[in-house]
Amino acid sequence: MTELIVNGDAEQGLTGWLTVAGTPAAIRYDRGDGYPGAGDPGPANRGTQFFGGGTSPRSTLRQSVTMPRRAASFTVSAWLGGYAGQQDGAQLTVEFLDCDGIPRGAVVLGPLTASERGSATGLFERTARGTVPPGSRRAVVTLLMTRAGSGTSNDGYADNISLTVTGGR
Amino acid sequence: MTQPLPDVVEVSWTVYSDRALRRRVAHGTVAASNLLGHSVHAVVRGLLPGRQYYFRFSALGRTSRVGRTRTAPVGPVSRVRFATANCQAFHDGFYAAHRGIATEDVDFVVHLGDYIYEHGQVGGHPVRDHEGPAILSLADYRRRYALYKGDPSLRASHAAHPWFLTWDDHECANDYSGTEGAAPFVARRAAAYQAWYENMPVRAGSALEPQLYRQRRWGDLLDLTVLDLRQYRSAQNLADGTILGTSQKKWLLDQISSSRDTWHCWINSIMLSQLARPGGGYYFTDQWDGFRAERAEVLGHVASSGMEDLVVVTGDWHSAFVDDIRPDFDNRDAPVIGTEFTAHSVTSGAYSAEWNTVNGPVMGAANPHLKYFEGNRYGYDVYEVTPQRWSTHMRVIGSRGDAASPVSTLTTFHVDRGKPGSYEDPGSVASPAQYRRV
Repeated sequence: MTELIVNGDAEQGLTGWLTVAGTPAAIRYDRGDGYPGAGDPGPANRGTQFFGGGTSPRSTLRQSVTMPRRAASFTVSAWLGGYAGQQDGAQLTVEFLDCDGIPRGAVVLGPLTASERGSATGLFERTARGTVPPGSRRAVVTLLMTRAGSGTSNDGYADNISLTVTGGR
Repeated sequence: MTQPLPDVVEVSWTVYSDRALRRRVAHGTVAASNLLGHSVHAVVRGLLPGRQYYFRFSALGRTSRVGRTRTAPVGPVSRVRFATANCQAFHDGFYAAHRGIATEDVDFVVHLGDYIYEHGQVGGHPVRDHEGPAILSLADYRRRYALYKGDPSLRASHAAHPWFLTWDDHECANDYSGTEGAAPFVARRAAAYQAWYENMPVRAGSALEPQLYRQRRWGDLLDLTVLDLRQYRSAQNLADGTILGTSQKKWLLDQISSSRDTWHCWINSIMLSQLARPGGGYYFTDQWDGFRAERAEVLGHVASSGMEDLVVVTGDWHSAFVDDIRPDFDNRDAPVIGTEFTAHSVTSGAYSAEWNTVNGPVMGAANPHLKYFEGNRYGYDVYEVTPQRWSTHMRVIGSRGDAASPVSTLTTFHVDRGKPGSYEDPGSVASPAQYRRV
């Protein structure tokens, strides 16, 4: 099993991620101010930081990874969340592209609605597994964090983003 | 209904240069994945420009029907013919218009959006209806596309011609702005966009954020500028609102700045021209009227850059309009810089004949740039373009209730190259319409 994502846990800030839009940020769990903390729903191994949308209505992080040849199956997982009853959210997508840059497969996790979070501030795990589309050369991993309506803080949150494949080399 | 398919199905494709499928010119296989609904988007290399080709697919021991396509020409071109279709609510009737398009001698077809509708069953006594309630999930959108694409006339239209595509709102949700950030909408948008990509003959580097805006050249005769007026737009009626989004606007302004001497056709899902109400306000600010500052900037750039021979083709309204385009629609001294043809819908319901009779002249009086309005019919437009003249033929069907309803030409408008503004063909100026500027 090979992990393809660099710094999926935000422990190195935004290292490894390209900011495509907005003002994504790495936020500390001990920040307070209503952000998710150590006692809120989230991964057990949450470390010290998670990804947040910052102060833009749409913040997007992306990394493009090379798919190992003969990768057979994949698992995509992420902890995605938001704030209380607000509908801000985080969506993780993976698109498998072939040598021409043509999409061969798409996987979408989230975003979680407020009701799916039980209106709790925190992060919740979402996972998808499947067969890697043959001919996949790259996987484009995109974390989109959005703010619902007006306001300042984009309270889409994400942590422990993972894309693993088996059977590759 | 779910088909019991493996995660990956190998699909082979073959391209021929002749209708009899004797001369094979390209072939290949694609692994169709369940992650994209087992759809196939093949890249075909080695084709010659300006040629007709035929193709078919094989998978799991079955072979598809034969499709026809055409590559864009390069160099001097003396004529191009193409059709536009828009707004094809399944429950509002049969696709006699697509049956007509399938038999037209056109080089390509453009869909201007509202290919599907997202709402549930309409009930009552429609000639046919949606398969279930409003669609929200990826499975829902896939099922809805399967319903629409099961129509034999639509399939025939696809098989007969290559298509260029944009979209409007109903491929996702009514009157939506693509930048809306609430989680339920973000999830719905992703499902809608993916299903659209899976079902459309389009090349894009992403199924989830497909870049629709692009320019395609038809030799030296025509530059097609495809606009995406949904994915990047802000809310309506904001002082700093945008219908294009930052990147697409810059790209469009650059296209205008570097435009060559040819016909320029903008593929525009939703009305560009101002449609003011008498006494103030606008009929619909979901169209460009809700993004007035950006419209003024774009059209002002057309005027100042000296770009000529602009024709904008539009859908959405379920009625036919012909407008003079001016950089400032409120200034009757502003120059005419182009023509907008808004086409009848394939099926989606228009206003009543009574509304049209009353309001055609009302809209005409409030909008001096409006030249023509007809809202009692359904169909599609065919454009015939030569280096000297652009002609828009409004094709109409007899009845949406008849899948084989005959097609006729209601009227034809012309635009002469180098002369801004349109004029109706003298042979059809007596055709029925609810407004004509005389």
